[in-house]
Amino acid sequence: MATSDSEDFESADEGHGSPDKKERKKRLSSSNYSDNALETEQKASNTPKKSSNVKNVEEIPKETDGWDDFDIDDNEPAPTPAPAKSNVQNQNKTIEDKPSNVKESKKSQDTGWDDFEDWGEEDTSSNVQKPEPKPVQSKPQPAQSQKPEPNIQEVTDRLAAASTGGGGWGWGWSVDSLLSTATAGISTITSQVSQGISTVLETGIGAPDPEELARRSVKTNETKTDRPAPAQEADKRPETGSEQEASAGDAAFPFGSLLSGVTKFVETTGTKVIHGGLDTLETIGKKTMEVLQDGDPGLAKKRAMLGLGAGDKPVLSQVLREAKAKAEEEDKVREEKREAKEVHYENLFDDFEGLVHLEALEMLSRQVSMRIEERIRSVDVEKRQDIKETLQQVAELCEMPEEDDDDEESPSEDLSKPDAFHERLQTATQDLGLKLQFLPLVKQYTDVLAYLSSPDADSVKSVYKRGVSSLAQGTALSVEQYHKAAEMLLVKTRRSTADEADALTQMTVVLTKHISELATLFTEKLNALPSDNKEQVNTYITNIFLEAGNSSTYIQNAFQLALPILQIGAV
Amino acid sequence: MAYAYLFKYIIIGDTGVGKSCLLLQFTDKRFQPVHDLTIGVEFGARMITIDGKQIKLQIWDTAGQEAFRSITRSYYRGAAGALLVYDITRRDTFNHLTTWLEDARQHSNSNMVIMLIGNKSDLESRREVKKEEGEAFAREHGLVFMETSAKTAANVEEAFINTAKEIYEKIQEGVFDINNEANGIKIGPQHSTAGGASGAGGAGAGGAAGGGCC
Repeated sequence: MATSDSEDFESADEGHGSPDKKERKKRLSSSNYSDNALETEQKASNTPKKSSNVKNVEEIPKETDGWDDFDIDDNEPAPTPAPAKSNVQNQNKTIEDKPSNVKESKKSQDTGWDDFEDWGEEDTSSNVQKPEPKPVQSKPQPAQSQKPEPNIQEVTDRLAAASTGGGGWGWGWSVDSLLSTATAGISTITSQVSQGISTVLETGIGAPDPEELARRSVKTNETKTDRPAPAQEADKRPETGSEQEASAGDAAFPFGSLLSGVTKFVETTGTKVIHGGLDTLETIGKKTMEVLQDGDPGLAKKRAMLGLGAGDKPVLSQVLREAKAKAEEEDKVREEKREAKEVHYENLFDDFEGLVHLEALEMLSRQVSMRIEERIRSVDVEKRQDIKETLQQVAELCEMPEEDDDDEESPSEDLSKPDAFHERLQTATQDLGLKLQFLPLVKQYTDVLAYLSSPDADSVKSVYKRGVSSLAQGTALSVEQYHKAAEMLLVKTRRSTADEADALTQMTVVLTKHISELATLFTEKLNALPSDNKEQVNTYITNIFLEAGNSSTYIQNAFQLALPILQIGAV
Repeated sequence: MAYAYLFKYIIIGDTGVGKSCLLLQFTDKRFQPVHDLTIGVEFGARMITIDGKQIKLQIWDTAGQEAFRSITRSYYRGAAGALLVYDITRRDTFNHLTTWLEDARQHSNSNMVIMLIGNKSDLESRREVKKEEGEAFAREHGLVFMETSAKTAANVEEAFINTAKEIYEKIQEGVFDINNEANGIKIGPQHSTAGGASGAGGAGAGGAAGGGCC
């Protein structure tokens, strides 16, 4: 859209002679107009310089047409008689009024373009004849403008002086000053036009409903009908200039720059209008949606009761409200699901990277098992039996000891629980020959103990949540130990399988004990908390023990996955 | 938490090129100038959104040390994407690319998307490998190329996300069979409950619809 418009501008710039696509786009009235323009040219043909100026004048309306097209296509104007009437009143104006109307119409984007345009064309046709008597009339012209600004007075005075003077130098001076005045005039116009546009935008934006919008647009139009006056005045300046130059003689060339100034101004204002128009549409759309969503909730029901919204057409606001209600319900369901997931052991275990460590350990385990099988296949039959026996021995070493009666050498009393746990882990794995990082496990234990003795642990639900989460985290950190141990064992240069197997078995004992210790801590806390729903507490306690069992299973599985890694060191 | 897909990535390359730092920058948006040597493999994860879908990137950051080579190789399997990293200030890390690439191609599925990364682009004064050389290598081997800096975070996000986009496109094209987990793609919990049987076709249609609305 915008590009095609700018093309139009360019073609307008290029030359008057080409009756380009813009002409085609025009309706009947426009063909009228171009005929008239031709007439003018013919009439003016006696004085070639003058005709060139008429052409210039003619081009300006062409740009107008570009605008008209744009507005018709995009803005879908709601015709309001007001501006049209004002235009009719102005009809007696001379051809110079044309550009001022351009501006006027730009201000009133949403007003009756159709009427206006039609008028514009007719007006042109009726006025085209006028340029002939014009030079004579140049004096009375300022009188037409309601508030003659000093500028205009000055210009016209100069013009008068120039026409009486008639000397070559005098003309040169006159043209110069005319141009500067004209430029000033144009900048005034531009600022006025953009002000006008912003007024339209501002008044159009906050519209809460169509009635209000309509009322406002009428108001805007009213203000607009007042506004054109100064714009027209300002407009006359360049136009008067053109008249003057026509009679002045060799002034066609400097006037070209004025023309390009005008075109440029139309272009820039054009982009403003395009952006402004789109912004307005967007804002109105957004506002409407807001109003529909937040507005009077009873309205749709009332309408439905009255049968207003009946028929096959769905009521937009109702549809929106239903969608909103549905979304709210979905949110609620999602919230519940999220809550359920929060205490879902497997998800938590995954979040703590337990699952991925287990997966990686599985990959290593499978890889190593294949290598062991390869090795068995590659050796003699007698040797195969030896290997299988060795493998069996290692596997037996890794069997979990029966419930140990000796309550182990209980670490010195002065150690804190986490430190004692750390020491047990280090003692268990001292023969492994690896430096495992137990600190995350120890830290987690410290955190759990701190939480349970803090005032945060005040509700049954939050203690339960934390319990499940702690078990999942403890298990994930434990599984990571097997994964790391397996990796390090595989790169270890000197293997001592029996020691390693024993160490890992001991570590498993310590870790599974740790898990049941965690479970006990949480269930004790749950029992200690005051609660009016004992049944709920019992369910939570059962779940904690269930997940503790789950955790132990994960840990022992991880240990079993590490078995081939221990075995391969022996064969 | 809930995701539509999970993509498994591996980061490979010589030791000290900044693999772990790239991961830390991507997952935690921070830089650690001194980093412990990676043992075997470390993990990182982050959610990203592609085409309106939540995708969990599960990144396996492998050890670059030669000693771990045999172990890390076993992790290549089932990766959907790989970041092959070298250090632009150390030419030897660039020279080893061919070996890494052969390794990756041999131990992973053929559809794996490989992104070549020249890291430490902030150390321009110490540059030993021209950007053009990296580009040429990538072109020659059909890789995507990018220079990154785990320190300044330049291009880090792009490297991970562009790889994911390429994987996602391959899913849409049907190159990846998402029901085969050996491809390094898992369907999220939402999808599997929605209709696991429809499989790739269903996911493809969903993707097309998503594209239409955007």
